[in-house]
Amino acid sequence: MAELRTWAPTVTSVLASVEACDRVGDLPGACRVSPGEVALVGDVSEAAVAAAVVRLDPDGVVLDVADGWVAHSLDGPGSREAFGRLSELELPIAGSRVGEVAGVGVRILVDRDRIDLLVPSMVSAHLRERIETDCAELLR
Amino acid sequence: MTPDPLRFEGREVPVLDGDTVASALFRAGVRTFSRSLKSRRRRGLYCGTGECPNCTLTVDGVPGVRSCITPAAGGMRVERGRGWPSAEHDLLHVADLAHTLMPVGFYLKTFIRPRFAWRMAERVIRRATGSGRLPLDAPATRTVARYARCDTIVVGAGIAGLTEALAAEEGGEHVLLCDEFAIGSRLAPGPTLDAVRALETRARATPAIQILERHAALGLFDGPTVPLATSDELVQVRADRVVVATGATESHQLFPGNDLPGVMLGRAASAMAALHGVPVGRRVVVVASTAEGVEHLRVLVATGARVVALVPAAFVDEVPHEAEAILDGELVEARGHGHLRSVIVRELGERRRIACDALVLSTGLRPRDELARMAVDEPVRLVGDAALEADEPWLVGGYLCLCEDVALHDAEQAWAEGFHSAEILKRYTTATMGPCKGAICGHALACFARPRADAADVSGTRPTARPPLRPVALQTLAAPVHEVIEKRTGLHDAHVAAGAAVGWSSGWTRPISYSDPADEYRAVRERVGLMDVGTLGRFLVGGRDATTLADAVFAGRVEDLAPGASRYVLALDEGGYVVDDGLLCALEDGSYLLTSTSGGAERMDSRLREWAERLGLHVHVLDRTSELGAILVAGPRARDLMGALTEDPIDAASLPYPGHRELTVAGVPCRAIRSGFVGELAFELHHRRSYGPQLWDSLQRAGRDVGVSPFGLEALELLRLEKGHVYLGQDTLPDDTPAKLGLARAVDMTKPWFVGKAALERLAELPPTRRLAGLIFEEATDYGAALRGAPLTVGAAVVGRVTSAERSPVLDRAIGLGWIRRAGDGFPDELRAGNTIARTVPTPFYDREGTRVRG
Repeated sequence: MAELRTWAPTVTSVLASVEACDRVGDLPGACRVSPGEVALVGDVSEAAVAAAVVRLDPDGVVLDVADGWVAHSLDGPGSREAFGRLSELELPIAGSRVGEVAGVGVRILVDRDRIDLLVPSMVSAHLRERIETDCAELLR
Repeated sequence: MTPDPLRFEGREVPVLDGDTVASALFRAGVRTFSRSLKSRRRRGLYCGTGECPNCTLTVDGVPGVRSCITPAAGGMRVERGRGWPSAEHDLLHVADLAHTLMPVGFYLKTFIRPRFAWRMAERVIRRATGSGRLPLDAPATRTVARYARCDTIVVGAGIAGLTEALAAEEGGEHVLLCDEFAIGSRLAPGPTLDAVRALETRARATPAIQILERHAALGLFDGPTVPLATSDELVQVRADRVVVATGATESHQLFPGNDLPGVMLGRAASAMAALHGVPVGRRVVVVASTAEGVEHLRVLVATGARVVALVPAAFVDEVPHEAEAILDGELVEARGHGHLRSVIVRELGERRRIACDALVLSTGLRPRDELARMAVDEPVRLVGDAALEADEPWLVGGYLCLCEDVALHDAEQAWAEGFHSAEILKRYTTATMGPCKGAICGHALACFARPRADAADVSGTRPTARPPLRPVALQTLAAPVHEVIEKRTGLHDAHVAAGAAVGWSSGWTRPISYSDPADEYRAVRERVGLMDVGTLGRFLVGGRDATTLADAVFAGRVEDLAPGASRYVLALDEGGYVVDDGLLCALEDGSYLLTSTSGGAERMDSRLREWAERLGLHVHVLDRTSELGAILVAGPRARDLMGALTEDPIDAASLPYPGHRELTVAGVPCRAIRSGFVGELAFELHHRRSYGPQLWDSLQRAGRDVGVSPFGLEALELLRLEKGHVYLGQDTLPDDTPAKLGLARAVDMTKPWFVGKAALERLAELPPTRRLAGLIFEEATDYGAALRGAPLTVGAAVVGRVTSAERSPVLDRAIGLGWIRRAGDGFPDELRAGNTIARTVPTPFYDREGTRVRG
C-alpha cells in the first residue's frame, strides 16, 4: 500500500551555464532538468544560491517558482508499483529524474519507497485523478 | 443455471454455470456459427481455444467476439454477423457455387477494365463481406494504459509457465506471470489440472511473482516490451527476459470437407463434453494419433456417443472397449451439405463410409511460438509445448485458411502463377492475413511452400509473425497515446463556484460564459469586464544574448524595445509561415517577458530553445505559464476599477499602450500589460498563481459600483472579432505568411536576418494568391456564428471560406473574417456566403483609430 499526499513544494529554478548548474546540482533536493537548468526542491536560501551561481555565470537566473508546481507524494511499500502503472520510467533507489508520468512532464524525487512527483500546477488535477483512478487499490 | 437466458437472434437460449457463449449455443442446437468470408460456407465450432475465426459472433453489439472463450451471461444479445438474409439461410452462398469465377487473387485481375467497374465491384464486395457492423453509437469507454517492470515475464500459465516462473523466482528474480485465461480454467478435471493447481498455489504464495490472468500478450517489441491487453486495460511490460510458455495448438489438417460444421479439433470437443457437459455428436469419428488424442477419445466415449476411433495400431490397448477401433486407418474425406454427414476412411486399402455427425481430430501439435518469432535479438526463450517441433500437416485438399477462405487448390494455383515462397503466397492469396493471424493456417502454408520451394531452389520460410497476436480493440491500442490532459488555471474553482459553463479550448478548461454572453459583451463595451487569461503562455527570456535571440525568432524589430515597452511579435518558421504570435515586454534587467497564445505555449517554448541552441546563444528560457496567473481587466471603466485597488500610477502617461509596469493591485504584486485585442482600454494583470483567487475577488468586489462582470470565451469571440484580431489556428492555415493575414506591420524586412526572412523575400516576388479579409454580410443581421465555415463563392466558383463570424451589436450586422483566393486580376470584393452577400471591408470593424485601446 502507498499513501498519496498532495502538497505545495518550495521550488527554486536555476537557469545558468552548465558549470554553474553543476555547482548547485548536488544540493539536497536538486533535480537536474537539463544541462542548463536545475530545480531545487525544499527550503534553500535564494540569495546564497544566486551568489553561487552568479560567480560562475553573471547572467544566471535564480527564481522562486513555487507557484508553478504541486507535489504528489507516493509513500509506502506500494509506491513503486503505483508509479509503474503511470509511467514507463525506471526509478533509482534514491535520486531524481525528469520524465513523463500519465502523459505529463514531471520532476521526480525518489528516496526508496517515497516518490515525490512535482507536476506543473496547471495539470496537477489531472495527475492526481490518474493516480486515484489507476492505483486505487494500492492507496490507503 | 443462471436465472436469465441469453437472446440469440430472437430466441432465448438457456445459460448454465460455466458456459461460454459457444457452449450455450451449441447445447441449444446451433451448429452454424458463422459464414466464411468469400464463399459464404457454413462454419461451425472448430478449435475451441479462441484461435480460429469460426465462432466469432456479435455479442451485445460488438462484432468479432470469439464465442468459444467468452463467458456467457444472462441477457446477452448474440447474433451472427455475416449472412443475407441470415447466416442460417444465406443467399450469398451462391458465391461458393461460383467459386471458379472468383479464383485466388481475383480482385487483382478482374474488374480492371473499364475503370469504373472496380468502384462498382468494390461497393458490392464491401457490402457482402465483413463480420458485423461496428457499434458506432456505443457509449465511449476508457481503456487504461499502465506500465509494469519485472526481471522476467512468463507468458502462459500452464505447467511449463508456472514451473518457469517459480524457478526464476527461486533465482531471485521478480517475475510477472500472465495468461490469456484464468489459470486452469480451460482444463477439464484430471491429472493435468491437479498439477496446474498445485503449482498455482505455490506461485500465488510467492510475493515476487505477480500474476495477471485474463491478460493476452499482443506482441513482443524492442526492450523487450510485451503489451498485455484485457477489455479495459493495456499493460506495457518491460522485462529483462521473456519466457514464452504459450503451449501448442492441435494441427489443422487439410483434406476434402475439412471446414464442414461438425469437424473440430480434439480440445474443442473435449472441452465441450468435459467442461460444459455438451456432447458434440451422437455418432462421432475420432482421429487420434497422439496420447492427448486418446485422452479426448476417452472423454467423448464417456458422453455416451457412438464412437469410431482411427488410431495407430500402437494405441490399440488405449481405445475404450465401447468404441470401435480402426487401426492404422486413413481419413480420406468428410462429406455433408451444410453439416457433416459422413466420413470416408481407408481401412486395409478399402474405402469405407461411416455415417457420423462429428469428426474430432487430434493428430499432432503446432507450437504457439509467434511471440518468440517476433523477437529480433531479444532475450526470449521458448519452453514447454511452445518449444516443440511442429508435426507435418496433411495437405490433401479442403481449406487451408479458414479466415480468408483460401482452399488448398487456391494455393496450388497461386504457386502455378509464380508466387514461389510462403511470404508472397501469403500476400497473393491473403492466407494467414485474417483474424487468426496464421495461428491455424500459418504452419500449413509453410509446409505447403517448403517442399516446392526446395525443389524450385527458392525461399520457403514461414511467413513473419506480427502483432497483434490476439484481436484487440483500436481503443486499447490507442490507450497509451490518448491521454487527455486537462489544464486548469488557478481560478478554475472560482469559475465553477460562480456557475460558469466551462469547456475545452486549446487544451485548457475555460469559462465559456457566466451568464448571458450578450450581457458580458456589453459589460466590456460599456463598463468593465474581467477575464481569466491565465492560459496565455508566459516565458522569461534572459541571458546576455536574449535580445539577439528575440531578434532572430521574431519578424519584427526587437533591439530598440526599451524597458517598460512592449510589442506585438510574430514567430515564423523557415518557410516564412506564421507559427505563433505574442507580446514581448522588455524588462529592466535586459531580459524579456514573452506572452504567447494559449494553445501555442509549447510550440513557442521549443522554438526559443531550438534557435538558442542552433545559434549558440547564451540565453535562459523559463516557461512561467504554470507559475503565473493573469486577469484581463477591460472596458472604458477599467482604469476606474484599477484605481480603486492600487496606489501606483496607471494613467496613460505612466502606463501607456503598448507598455507594461509592475503594480500592486489589491495587495497583489502584478505586472500589468496594456493589451488591445478586445478593442477597449485593457490591463492584463500577471501575478503569482496562488494570488489569483484573492485578486479576482478583490476586482469583483471593487467593481460592483462600476458594473463589473466576468466574461468568457463566447463574449471574447465577438469582442476580438470586432477588433479584427486574428485567431491563429481558427482564422489561419499552415502556409500563412504575415502578408496573407494582414500582419505585415509586425515584420521588419530591414533587419539583417530573422527566421523566415529569406522565404518572405522570395515570396514577395510572387503575386498574392490568397488573403484573409474582413467581411460584412448584407442580409444576415439576425445571426452570425452560423456563417462560420460557409464557402465564399463568386458565381459558381468557390473562392474562399468564412473562418469567423458573429453578429456585431455595434454594427448591427453580421461580420466575419474569411479566406479569399485571387480571381482574375484581383480579389473579389463581393461574394456569396450561403444565402447572403458578403462584402470585403478593412479591419478592424471597431475602434478603427485605436483611441479606445489607447485610453
